[in-house]
Amino acid sequence: MLLSRVAESLYWINRYLERAENISRFVEVSESMALDCPPGSAEPWLPLVDASGDRNKFDESYLNKTPSDVTNFLIKDRENPNSIFSCVCMARENARQIRDVITSEMWEQINSLYWSIQEGEVIWHQPAQEQLFEIRRGCQLFYGVTDATFSHDIAWDFSKLGRLIERADKTSRILDVKYFLLLPNLKELGGALDELQWISLLRSAGAYQMFRISQQGSITPNAIASFLLLDPIFPRSVRFCLEGIKESLGKIQNSPISQKPNDLECLIGLLLSKWSFVRIDHLIKDGLHEAIDSLQIDLNKLHDLIHGIYFTNDKRFDIESL
Amino acid sequence: MFKNYQPKKGYDEYFSSDDFLPRSSLEPLLSSLGEMGLDQLNISHEVARKLLLRHGATFRLNDSGNKGSERILPFDPLPRVIGASEWLDLEIGLIQRLEAIDLFLADVYGKQQIIKDGIIPRDLIESSDGWRPEMKGFVLPLGKWCHVSGLDLIRDGKGEWLVLEDNLRCPSGVAYFLENRLVMKRIFPSLFNGRVVRPIDDYPSYLLKSLQELAVWTDTPKVVLLTPGVFNSAYFEHSYLAQQMGVQLVEGNDLVCQNQNVYLKTTSGIKKVDVIYRRIDDDYLDPKFFRKDSMLGVPGLIEVLRKGRVAIANAPGTGLADDKLIYTFVPEMIRYYLKEEPRINNVKTYVCARRNDLNFVLENLEKLVVKSVSEAGGYGMLIGPHSSQIDIDKFSAKIKANPRNYIAQPTLDLSTVPSLSEGVVYPCHVDLRPYVLRGKNTWVSPGGLTRVALKRDSLIVNSSQGGGCKDTWVVSK
Repeated sequence: MLLSRVAESLYWINRYLERAENISRFVEVSESMALDCPPGSAEPWLPLVDASGDRNKFDESYLNKTPSDVTNFLIKDRENPNSIFSCVCMARENARQIRDVITSEMWEQINSLYWSIQEGEVIWHQPAQEQLFEIRRGCQLFYGVTDATFSHDIAWDFSKLGRLIERADKTSRILDVKYFLLLPNLKELGGALDELQWISLLRSAGAYQMFRISQQGSITPNAIASFLLLDPIFPRSVRFCLEGIKESLGKIQNSPISQKPNDLECLIGLLLSKWSFVRIDHLIKDGLHEAIDSLQIDLNKLHDLIHGIYFTNDKRFDIESL
Repeated sequence: MFKNYQPKKGYDEYFSSDDFLPRSSLEPLLSSLGEMGLDQLNISHEVARKLLLRHGATFRLNDSGNKGSERILPFDPLPRVIGASEWLDLEIGLIQRLEAIDLFLADVYGKQQIIKDGIIPRDLIESSDGWRPEMKGFVLPLGKWCHVSGLDLIRDGKGEWLVLEDNLRCPSGVAYFLENRLVMKRIFPSLFNGRVVRPIDDYPSYLLKSLQELAVWTDTPKVVLLTPGVFNSAYFEHSYLAQQMGVQLVEGNDLVCQNQNVYLKTTSGIKKVDVIYRRIDDDYLDPKFFRKDSMLGVPGLIEVLRKGRVAIANAPGTGLADDKLIYTFVPEMIRYYLKEEPRINNVKTYVCARRNDLNFVLENLEKLVVKSVSEAGGYGMLIGPHSSQIDIDKFSAKIKANPRNYIAQPTLDLSTVPSLSEGVVYPCHVDLRPYVLRGKNTWVSPGGLTRVALKRDSLIVNSSQGGGCKDTWVVSK
């Protein structure tokens, strides 16, 4: 038995931490890449703001758009609701609201992370990439502790939903942004820098090693797009996330597919079959950018349906539903 | 560590004030402290502070939700020690007091025999902020009204224990009481050498059991803890207790009254609730019954209570006995209902509603502590000896305008316990809040929350006024 409010908090704790983790990985990789770029160029930076979907907000607040503006906006800016700092605060506040439900180890982990990134704490005296690594590890520890101490009932499934919807969204965004940024360079005979750029895209998605193992070949844009979108066993690929979402929704609804599937069952069913059976060549021929756009619209629809059915639907609380 | 320690006049709980020799039950602790040394004590104190922060044992000073105002309750590492036989006497006295108060509440919201017999004047009851006439005629499960109480005890200059006030609505602090022990065991294990301290970890089990026993209509009671929400200053305690008992922590919006029952809104429809441990004031419980503008409560809840289909702990209306004027009648209640003499006395109290007392108080304000009868948390009081003439005059006008609202007590030499202050040990004033649980039986926590005025020479122990807390040990000799 799970309160709707609690289900919603679990969902958001995980969405926010996944968001914070992805942003820290994006920035960490860019920090390291910037060292390979000509000084002062904002090349690897602005696309990150695009990937976060907050370009307008950024343009309003920062006139010079220097690299440090970008990192500040993405990491510490309290005015940016999607900065790492804001995400961790929101996740911790949601956790505080359901401290009785999560295990004390989960609470302590998220609470320690929160206090460790306050103004003036030790973490900020370290080099930038170390800071980001620490934050990312803080988020990952939370997943680990959750996995190992929190019963795998529907509360856990709501946590998983939040995490996977966010992850699918972020993987597709980073691909979308970087892919088109790097594509013109394809015309040039792949120089060293070029290869580095593609590797950094994989690293941003946390996919470099697994891609290497699974592909065994050279790094081509098609292979990368295919891996990040369609790989059946890589845990950050869009398809893998959709599989997990479908599985958790099935457990939450506690039923095999019904005779008349509801909107949510229809949407996740259609989404999963599309991304399981489409071929990367077709996707690219018909327009990769459009395909990713429509995926993001579908993920938003999915969120709205979950929200409407499980978090706020007062019809469910009628006496008849007993 | 204690080389330069100077007990104050009054009663020091570590050293006797005649010869400065350690009191008998202190011996093993003092030698462990000696071995540890002051430097290590200070270092470990910092570690303890960090641990409390990591656990989130924090409160917010106001309800603004402003992140900057979140802090831990200052924790002092030097435990307060109480001998087992002394504790036993206190325990009997606390149970006696609660029995009488419970009988009084059932009576005053029922047949009102105590008024008819002329023990307490009707107008003093009906003019109390805590009086809830809406509750008249309610018959409650087990006939009990106060299921979870915290009584504030002090020791005067001679070391005699007295009751300072009763907290019978939703007393707080128990999470710190439990957390303090956990921190002591974790960070200062060596101080426990050579003795057994009575454990307190079973509080949540007794709390759950007492709450479950109120649901006389079912063998599988569903208990929930109702909180005003995350912005409440005691929210940490609400979530902590819910977690320790394994019951759901809910807000008003999570509950709905239908079909003469209270239900929880869950992701799989609604589920019946039997017992609500509420940490919300009476006024906010039910907008259909009490304050109409309350967003925190559950519309229709009190009607379900009247029908006997839910239990609420503590019952609405218990705040009447929190009234510091009604407090002065508790010894009378004990004699009237139990035919016994009180085992723990009240502090001598002047009731400004009585003309003679009023005149005495107004003439002696610079010597007295004056309190508003309905305010808690150390607010709305005057400490005469520590106040300027301007403050005293202002307060005098307030008392004249509304005598019913004030009581006064002599300024007491509260007992002291050594505490870390500016890196050295200093005698700080303390009080004690033991917790009493009542289901079918009554259970008293061994020890309780010792609150300490960490500001040197201050008499106010409340957390809202800069007070802290320390662990309390009940030990056999």
